Amino acid sequence: MLGLRIFVYIVVVLMLLPVLITFPVALTSVARISFPPVGLSGRWFMAIFSDTVLLDSIIRSFWLATAAAIVAITIALPCAFVIHRSTSRARELLETWITGPRMIPQIVFALALLAYFETIGLAETFIGLVISHLVITIPFAFRTLLVSVSTMDKRLEWSSDVLGATPAQTFWRVMVPQLKTGLIAAFIFTFILSFNNVTLALFLSGFGQRTLPVEMFQRMNVGGMTPAIPALSFVLALVGVVLFIVLDRTVGVYRFLAGRD
Amino acid sequence: MADAAARPRNPDRRRALLSALLLLPVCALLLVFFLAPLIQLVNLSTFAQQPSAQNLKPPHSLANYLNILSDPFYLQITANALLVGFWTTIATLVISYPVAYYITKISGWERTLISVACLLPLFVNVIVSILGWYILLLPYGVIQQILSSLGLVTGSLQWLRTMPALVGVLTYEHIPFAVLILVSSLQAIPQDKINAARLLGAGIPRIFFTLILPLTMPGLVASAILVFSLSASSYLVPILIGAQRIKVLPLSIFSYGTELQNWPLAAALSIVLLILVVAITYLFARTMNRITRRGEWEMV
Repeated sequence: MLGLRIFVYIVVVLMLLPVLITFPVALTSVARISFPPVGLSGRWFMAIFSDTVLLDSIIRSFWLATAAAIVAITIALPCAFVIHRSTSRARELLETWITGPRMIPQIVFALALLAYFETIGLAETFIGLVISHLVITIPFAFRTLLVSVSTMDKRLEWSSDVLGATPAQTFWRVMVPQLKTGLIAAFIFTFILSFNNVTLALFLSGFGQRTLPVEMFQRMNVGGMTPAIPALSFVLALVGVVLFIVLDRTVGVYRFLAGRD
Repeated sequence: MADAAARPRNPDRRRALLSALLLLPVCALLLVFFLAPLIQLVNLSTFAQQPSAQNLKPPHSLANYLNILSDPFYLQITANALLVGFWTTIATLVISYPVAYYITKISGWERTLISVACLLPLFVNVIVSILGWYILLLPYGVIQQILSSLGLVTGSLQWLRTMPALVGVLTYEHIPFAVLILVSSLQAIPQDKINAARLLGAGIPRIFFTLILPLTMPGLVASAILVFSLSASSYLVPILIGAQRIKVLPLSIFSYGTELQNWPLAAALSIVLLILVVAITYLFARTMNRITRRGEWEMV
């Protein structure tokens, strides 16, 4: 057991290292990426706020992820209800169909949409981007919501029905409160998936319409990299970790995310 | 009046109609924006040249496929992609299995800490972690400085742009997927079975090989399939860490799809990739199924 423990903690260090290393690198006072940092300054953290291109891409990514998460949950929730209450054969078929987009490599799907949007006139539009993110996040939103729906107590609905509540009242006052944590988990998860996605925006977003991950990719790949990128990376990682801990301590990550198998 | 009378008589039909209505938005979305684009991609892959304003529908042919199958370069990059996927899958499973086992044995904040670390790549942007590895692996970068100060290496380390670095970073990216699946499959093992084995005098290795391993085999197979199909089709890590030195097939899809604007060839390459990945994972799942079913019988 001790050997296992040592192994696990080595893995833990290796998993954290690449994310933690961005912090000291960002503290440098010169414009090149180096370790150990040359001098100490917070100027590259401030530089994020004066870089309008970067700020625009953050805002664009934020709205994209928010829109995708809200719509994905809104249309996936009814599916979770229907599928939870349907017979096993129909259930299997529908589940395969709805979670199908996970099976296709994203680069293949991105290429397919690139050509498709060109023919139907959605190329390089924001709405096209939202649609593409919907397709890839729905499987995950659906699985998370299905877990949540299947733990609901059906007797509460019957009681509410018997006591004379309308279907709408039953939905808002009896079912939604039970689903609240599941909805929050699904929202956080879908938001993160969409916010972090590189491939779809890389293929589909127009010139000057880059999302944050694409902007970072281009600066790393083509040029224009300053320590502001590690600085921003560290901030993003911190937000991700906080969201994760909230998710884990409130609803339990394994319960909701293991729906991936 | 007639309508009101007819309604209660057909509760099943009303239910079916309601279900269909609730399923409609997602099903329509997937039909129009998932299935249709993929069908169009197959069609596109048979065009001999890029459709243009003058020539909207070039003639169909299998030229792209013949081109790919007869060119040693394409065969090489296909083999590279599968090889990268293979090594990444092995490395990911070997690391994730003990970690997942350890996670099922602990609780509280230690569990949260280890889970945060091992699922980090899911919550942090892939570009962020690639950047971190880039800084670590750079010649005269962090890892080199540590190793030189220990007197282990001299001169510059050329780790970036090598196959081990590529597989290493891909393993890093895919550990969360395997850990998630393996934790839930290890958690599903009933504790009384392990207790029974222990009471009957089985040692730890015996319990592991005859009980835990066969029972978690479906989880191992599922994570192997997922990690293989994700890593064999990865292009971001090969671009940024491999710096395009190690040519893999998804890199060609990326460059033909974006900079070089040869969509039909990119589409044909995509379909080759898709067919290979599906065929390999299907055969793997079938073989493993046959083997583990025998294992189950022995176990009963």
